[in-house]
Parts: sequence; structure tokens; C-alpha cells
Amino acid sequence: MALVRTLAVIPHLVRMFVRTKLEYPGALVLSWVSQAVSYGSMYTAIALIVARFGTLGGWSWSEIALLLSFHLLAYSTGASFSFTQFRVMEDLVRQGTMDALLVKPISTWTYLVFSGFNIGYAGHVALAIGLMGWALTQVEVTWSFPLALYFIATLVSGAMVVCALMTMIGATAMVFVRSRHLYSIFFGFWELARYPITIFPLPIQVLLLTAVPLGFISTVPVSVILGKPVPMLGDFAGLACVLAGPAMAGLAMLHWRWCLRNYQGAGG
Amino acid sequence: MSAIIEVSGVAKTFRQPKRLPGLGGAIRSLFSRDYTEVRAVQDVSFAIAPGEAVGYLGPNGAGKSTMIKMMTGILVPTAGSLSVLGREPHAHRMTNAAEIGVVFGQRSQLWWDLPVRDSFDLHRHIYEVPEARFADNLAFLTTMLGMADYLDRPVRQLSLGQRMRAEIAMALLHDPKILFLDEPTIGLDVVAKDAVRKFLAQINRERGTTIILTTHDLQDIEEICPRLIMVDDGKLLFDGELPRLRAALGSRRRLRLEFGSDPGPITLTTARLVTDDGAAKHFLLDAEDTSILDVLTELGSGYDLKDVTLEEPAIEEVIRTFYQSKPQRAAEAL
Amino acid sequence: MKARAYAAFTVNAFQSRLAYRSAVWSAAFGDLVFIFARIAIWVSVYGAATSTMTDGVTLPQAITYAIIAGPVLYWDFARLLHDVGTAIQTGDVAVYLLKPLHYPAFLLASHIGHFLFELLLVVLPVVVIAGLTYGMVPPASLFHALAFLGYWALSFMMLFALASLAGLAAFWLMTASALEWFLMSIMTLLSGGLVPLWLFPGWLAAIAGHLPFAWVSYYPAAVYLGRLDVSQTLLYFAIGLVWLAVLLGALAWLWTRARHRLIVQGG
Repeated sequence: MALVRTLAVIPHLVRMFVRTKLEYPGALVLSWVSQAVSYGSMYTAIALIVARFGTLGGWSWSEIALLLSFHLLAYSTGASFSFTQFRVMEDLVRQGTMDALLVKPISTWTYLVFSGFNIGYAGHVALAIGLMGWALTQVEVTWSFPLALYFIATLVSGAMVVCALMTMIGATAMVFVRSRHLYSIFFGFWELARYPITIFPLPIQVLLLTAVPLGFISTVPVSVILGKPVPMLGDFAGLACVLAGPAMAGLAMLHWRWCLRNYQGAGG
Repeated sequence: MSAIIEVSGVAKTFRQPKRLPGLGGAIRSLFSRDYTEVRAVQDVSFAIAPGEAVGYLGPNGAGKSTMIKMMTGILVPTAGSLSVLGREPHAHRMTNAAEIGVVFGQRSQLWWDLPVRDSFDLHRHIYEVPEARFADNLAFLTTMLGMADYLDRPVRQLSLGQRMRAEIAMALLHDPKILFLDEPTIGLDVVAKDAVRKFLAQINRERGTTIILTTHDLQDIEEICPRLIMVDDGKLLFDGELPRLRAALGSRRRLRLEFGSDPGPITLTTARLVTDDGAAKHFLLDAEDTSILDVLTELGSGYDLKDVTLEEPAIEEVIRTFYQSKPQRAAEAL
Repeated sequence: MKARAYAAFTVNAFQSRLAYRSAVWSAAFGDLVFIFARIAIWVSVYGAATSTMTDGVTLPQAITYAIIAGPVLYWDFARLLHDVGTAIQTGDVAVYLLKPLHYPAFLLASHIGHFLFELLLVVLPVVVIAGLTYGMVPPASLFHALAFLGYWALSFMMLFALASLAGLAAFWLMTASALEWFLMSIMTLLSGGLVPLWLFPGWLAAIAGHLPFAWVSYYPAAVYLGRLDVSQTLLYFAIGLVWLAVLLGALAWLWTRARHRLIVQGG
């Protein structure tokens, strides 16, 4: 009953948020352009290094480009459901706005996610798809229908990992009030995830596959697709990429519930 | 009539990290993990019947909001049991939410950049209000609260009073059985306060909506709520009707005698002198059954008495007296 | 009296940051992961290269460059840009007009406080850990060491001026975050914080080497490594000072315009 109600409300929530954003169309377009330019400049810097040295960790520029675009697409898809929404979570808790969300008869997570479904990531997505389109024509991959399906499945799974981690960090604010600082750890590992995993020392590789599983949003699936070996996981890597998203989503759900039960409000 | 809300022996304890003072303390707190326990609500019990209007009153930090948050399912009680509409609110938060309305005075539930009507419309979808019922309610509330001329304006352009009326209207669009209001009149001007109070009293009277509101403002209670629950320091101090509170404290009527010329000091057994401005003197009548006649009889006719006024105690007076009977909290009360 | 008031803003900013203890740990950890990523790139490309030197730079030098040009010199200007942007968008900036102080000077004073805080509690631990893990080469000479300190101060002022300018531009564009992204994209490429200018194609290096952004990361780190001889070191310091004067002039001018706009149009 509550679930049906929740699902039915989603399109209305998204429409409200889009209309809010369209109140300031200039700022929206400017943010799309500025963010795409910023990623473009980062990728240019990486391209300069690869151009000078030939390869990075045994990956050619077109392979790196596929990795970067996969990273950006999985990230921006997952983040459009989560980042800006959960980044403000500690403000929602501190100002008591969270209380107002909790007295609605639909899932609080759904309300938060879709009432802030961030169309601001359109610039990211456009850049990622453009770069990916080019990279896919350059890399040596023999495409088949199952592989194409697998490619999409890993993208979705990667986006789920992003969304799950963002949710978990945000939910933490319900108990500890402050949690935004944890995003700097997230983005530290997020930065690592856009390079071939093999260039890092072993402890970092382990972290990228376990505690902060951002390896699964880019470097692991792209390695599998390009037929490059994945450390530690070996043959299991292919399956792990598809499972990572749902597994993290389940974990995030448990964490969310635990935080909700231990919610303290603004205190007093 | 069976209770719509039952609270028995409820307590809520918060954990807060300790902050040490000064620069050295700040550096040390980078490493420490000390917590203090704050007991926001302690052993509170009461029951509320359908159709009642109850004012939940107490000084800042008395645990008023915490109680509201437990009744609405936001917070889980540390101890005790709580039942709202026959359910444990936290375990059935969403089902509970569909049948109650909640207004938080200081935080808006309206969409800042969009017209009021859009927030209402979203509310209709969230609460699955049938279209015809929604239209009826909206028409009724718009008229009652005088919202017609700003329903299509973005929320960011509204005055605080207009916004609060819109918040209250929204909380009633789905015909809630209980309406919770946390400080609904805070920050409003006199006219807006008056409109809100009249409206809430009317909704309670005509629609039978149970109302529970927390407030600092005693006039809210006087005009809306026949019943008063007073808390301080997390504990229940008083639960009953306002006249009963007055009676329990002694009526404390105030008598003002004005003389043609300063008669000098006057001491009476029936009335206690509180302020002496020479020609005007104020007395308190401590005993419930003392009448003006008793006082005037004792005073006798030897004075140049020009005017006599008897004032019923204002609610502020009643409550101040109540808090003063608890000396350690007197400074904070009201 | 005045100087003491501004010093108080510095101390205030420093102290305010101490209240957020978990933020300190997270920032240090995040930075550490970042710098490990950068270093891993150099270890990887040098490991695969045929000679131990590329453009006359060895791996230990490249690692040292990464540490200095990254966390040490390239401080997080987003806070400054946001402070200015928010003050403008909410209209709080008007409050500063009521006080007997110069708003850009106030910004400088408080962001020196933030800078010192981050230097002591975030950057220094990160540098020590990264340095102990991978090793850092010492400055090329005593001259270069001293020159680096001068360049460091210049770098701070340069980034301060750039971020404040971008923040003030929010007065006209009404969006601080897009400006932050734009400045970030310029800095990523042209400051040399990620890729040293010697790896650029010649024409791009020539352009980037004469834009003010290169003084934020590239020149100080290159001086530290002794890539510039004595006369070049002095010459480019002078050029950097000229750029700084231009930027500070622009900042003062823009602030005057902004203030005028505030007073005449009410924001």
C-alpha cells in the first residue's frame, strides 16, 4: 500500500524538481557547460601524460578514454539519484527539515531521491556518452549481444554502487548529525577509480574492491570488457561487477534502516 | 470515549558529544569521544480523547518537540509505550503519517520556488486524496484562511503569516484525524496569530479534528485548547483544564484600590499588599472564597476610596506562579 | 588597531575549523588517497619507460613535484569562492559595508587562517606520510629553497586573487558554483598542479608558462627542483609579481564596482 503510493508519486516529485530548476534556466545551462568543461580539462591533462609516455599501466589512450567515460557515466547516473540530495542531509537533520520528511506517508528515501533528482548532471552525461562513443570505435573489442548486455548491466551496477555509498554517507547524518566530511573520502577513492587498478599498490587495490568498492564503477568492469586481468578477483571479476551494485544497495538499505531507527533529530 | 493517543511512562534520552572550551579544548576534542546523556523526556504519561484540543506547554528545552516527534513516529522512545490511533507510531510511521497532519512552525514543507498550489497538488498525490474531496477541502481552506489571492504565487514571495496559513492548510488537505502543531504561531504578527488561532479553534469545534500543539504563547492555549499539559525538564508538571490549574494554584485575583490621596500603609488579613504606589495599591486575594465585599468590609469607610478594580489572573500569571513554586527553574520559565 | 582586527579574523577562521574534528580526519585521508593516485601514475609511467629520465626529470623528482604542486600549493579555493558567492547571493555582503573594514582584506585575513589550519592539520601530515612512503628529494640548492618560500607566498596570493575574482563575478552572473567549475577546469590544466608544463607540447607550454595560473603550482615546484636557474628564478618571480599586481588591481576594481552596485541598486 505504502509502496504503491510511493511509486505513484515519483513522477510528480521529479516534475516538481525540474520545474524548480527551470525557474533559473541560465544557471542550469551554465552549470552543465562548466562541469563538462571541467571534466574535459581533467581528461586533457591525463591525455597529455599518456601521450608523452605512450601508455598508462599498459593501457592505451583509447582504452583510458573508455575507462574515463565509463567512470563518468556510471558516476553521474548514480549521483543524479543521490549526491546533491544526500550532501545536504546533515543540514536537513540540523535544521529539522528531516522531521518534516519523516511525517510523510511515503518512503523518505524515495522522497529525498526523486524530489531532488538532479538534472544538473546532463553535462556529465553528454560528455561521457560522447567520449564513450569515440572510445568504443577505437578499442579492440569483439561485440556480441551478450557482451553489449553485460556492458549495460555493469554500468547500471556501477551507478548503484555510487548511489548506495552516497545514501550510506547521507544516512549517517541521521545518527551523527555530521557526515558531509565523509564525501571527501569518497571522492579520494573516486579519483583512484578512473585509472587502471593495477597501477596502485596492493593495499589500495584491496580497498577499491572491498571497503570503498568504487573499483566496480569503472576500472574493474572496463578491464573485464577489454579482457585485461583483474588482480585478486581473477575470473570472478566479471560476475562481481554485476553483483556489486545489488549487494551494495542491500547493504545501504540495512544501513538506512538502522540510521532511521537511531535518528536523534536535531536533539532536544 | 476511548483514547486516540495514549502515552505511558515514556522517556527519551539523547547522546551528545562533549565539547571542551577554548583552543586547547578544541584541539583535545579532536581526539576525545566523550558523550553526555540528555534526558529530554522522563516518565511522561497522558491520554487524549478524539476531538480534544490540547496545549503542550513548557519552557525551551522542556522536551515538547521531542514528545511531538515521538507521537508522529519520527523518534523512537527510549522507554515506555506510546499508541496513536491504536498503533505504535514508529513501527507504523508511514501508515500513521497518512492519518495525521503535522505543522512545524519554523520549517516549511512548501516548495520554496514554486506556487503554493503546486505544493498542495503534490500533497494530494502523496496522501492519495480523491480529487473531489481535495477540491472541496481546498475551497473550504482557501476561504477560511483567506488564501485566494496568493495561491498562485511562489512561496518565496509570501509573508511569514501567509506561509504559515498555507502550511496549516496543507496539513489539513487529507482530512487528518489528528493535527500536530509545533509552535504554530512563532514569529507571526498579532493579526496573523489571531487568524491562525481562530481557525484552529474552529477546525477543532466543527470538524472534530483532534489538535495537539506546543507553544510558548499562552494565548494560543487560552483561545484554542481547553486542556493544558505542562512540562518542564522533561517531566510532566500538570495535566488538566486551565481553570483547574488556576484553582490548584489559588485563584490569585488581583485587586486594585485607588484613593483620592495617599492613605499611608494599609495592612489587611483578607488581601495581601503586593505593590504600593501611594494613592494606588495592588492586593492579591490568595483565598478562593474571598469576595471584594470582604475586603471592603475589612477596610472600613475611613478612606477616600475612588475606584476599585478586580482583575482575573492572566494565564501568564498563573503559569509563572506555577514555575515559581519550582525555584530552581524560575529564571528560565517563560 | 586595524592590523590587530584583521589578525583576529585569521585566528577566528583557524579556530572555527577545529570544531569539526571528523572533517579534519576525512580531509586528510581524502587528500592522502588523492596524492597516492597521482604518485601511482608517475610510478607506473616511469616503470614502463625505457630511460630513467623524461625531459631531464627522474621519478623521485616527479614524485616530489606531485607532492609539492598538489597538496602543498593547490589549496582548496572552493571555500573562499563559496564564502564570497553565498555572501553575494544572500545579500549578506551588505553587512560588510556597515563595518569599518575592507571586504577583500577581511577575506584575505580569514582565508589565511583557513590556509594555516589546512597546512598544519591536513597538508603536513599528508606530505609526511607520502614523503616517508615514496621519498622526496630536497630542494636543488639553498638559493632554490629560499626562492621556493617566496614563490610559495606568491602562489597563495595568486590563487587567493583568482578565487576572489571568480567569487565576486557572482555579482553579475548570479551563480558561484558554475564559476567554481570554470576556475577549476582552468586550474586543472594550466596551473601545472597535475601535469608539469615540461610534459606539455611546446606551444601549449609557452602559453601556459606566461599565464598567471602557472605561478600557483608549476613555478614554485619547478624552482624547488632547480628547473630554473638563478636569473630565470628571479625573472619569473618578477613576472609573477606583475601578474599578481594586475589581479589584485582587478579585484579592487571589481569590488568597487560591486559596492557601487550594492549601494545604488540595493544588490
